[in-house]
Amino acid sequence: VAHLLREKGFNAFVIVGGLAAWRKAGEPLEPVPHDDLVKLPTFS
Amino acid sequence: MNYFLSLIARHGYALVSAVVLAESIGLPMPAALALVTGGAAAASGILNAPTLLLLGTGAMLLGDSLLFVLGRNMGWALLGFLCRLSVNPESCILRSAESFYKRGKITLVIAKFIPGVNTMAPPLAGSMKMRFLQFLRLDLAGATLYVAAYLTLGFLFRDFLVSIAQGFRAAGRAMEVALLAALIGYVVYRIWLYRKYAVYRVVPRVQVEELARKLASEGDGNILIVDVRSHGYYDAGTERIKGSIRLEPNNLSDELKTLAKDRDIYLYCT
Repeated sequence: VAHLLREKGFNAFVIVGGLAAWRKAGEPLEPVPHDDLVKLPTFS
Repeated sequence: MNYFLSLIARHGYALVSAVVLAESIGLPMPAALALVTGGAAAASGILNAPTLLLLGTGAMLLGDSLLFVLGRNMGWALLGFLCRLSVNPESCILRSAESFYKRGKITLVIAKFIPGVNTMAPPLAGSMKMRFLQFLRLDLAGATLYVAAYLTLGFLFRDFLVSIAQGFRAAGRAMEVALLAALIGYVVYRIWLYRKYAVYRVVPRVQVEELARKLASEGDGNILIVDVRSHGYYDAGTERIKGSIRLEPNNLSDELKTLAKDRDIYLYCT
């Protein structure tokens, strides 16, 4: 995704270790909003 | 063609099944050629057409089911692995995802005939939580259609295929030179494409501590943290980085329209 964003002209970076590293570092988290959950594609 | 026919005659059904299975799990094997040859062998009375249809469909269904299960458990990581050999891996994944968005479930039925989407469809369906029985129904239809189409092609055009093979042999050295030149041209073209897209393979990475410091000192006015997880996002109680926004990787072309280009974008997954 980051590659594609840069290809489209966005100044994109990747967070090393992702969410797991963020959580491990004790940085703040929040619950995923319901609206974001229903946006995901499913076939069920 | 005669070489292939003799090979098929010796190893028969196992060879066709193995090639079809190998291609369905993403290996670069010529399943269509094996099936066409199998069809020609059936027309010659060497093999039995219904048995070939059954074995070919079964092999394809087996490989697809394996990728479906892996896609369900590995999500984006498997898709990235399958696209690794592609010139532009990102486009490889996104083109397949876009096909699902445009065509929906029917993608599974026609995917085998779309280069670049054929191998990606089963793991994408798994990643998108399709029910396994529903997947089996649709994939069975697609596999049967694909296997039957190429077997029929070989069956109907057996004589034509044999005459092509004989033509190649008669042309001799001139044909070898032409094929070699075409091969070199193709390799040069692939290298040119690879170098063209190489610049996009380098993405700056940032440590959590560095980003946290930046947020503390500059605020989030110029910083946008984006969640691009394709998997593990469905469970109740799922968390994300505070202040981040969701960007659906399977529908990237639409999602990009809402992103601001004047901010630094920090992506993360699980």
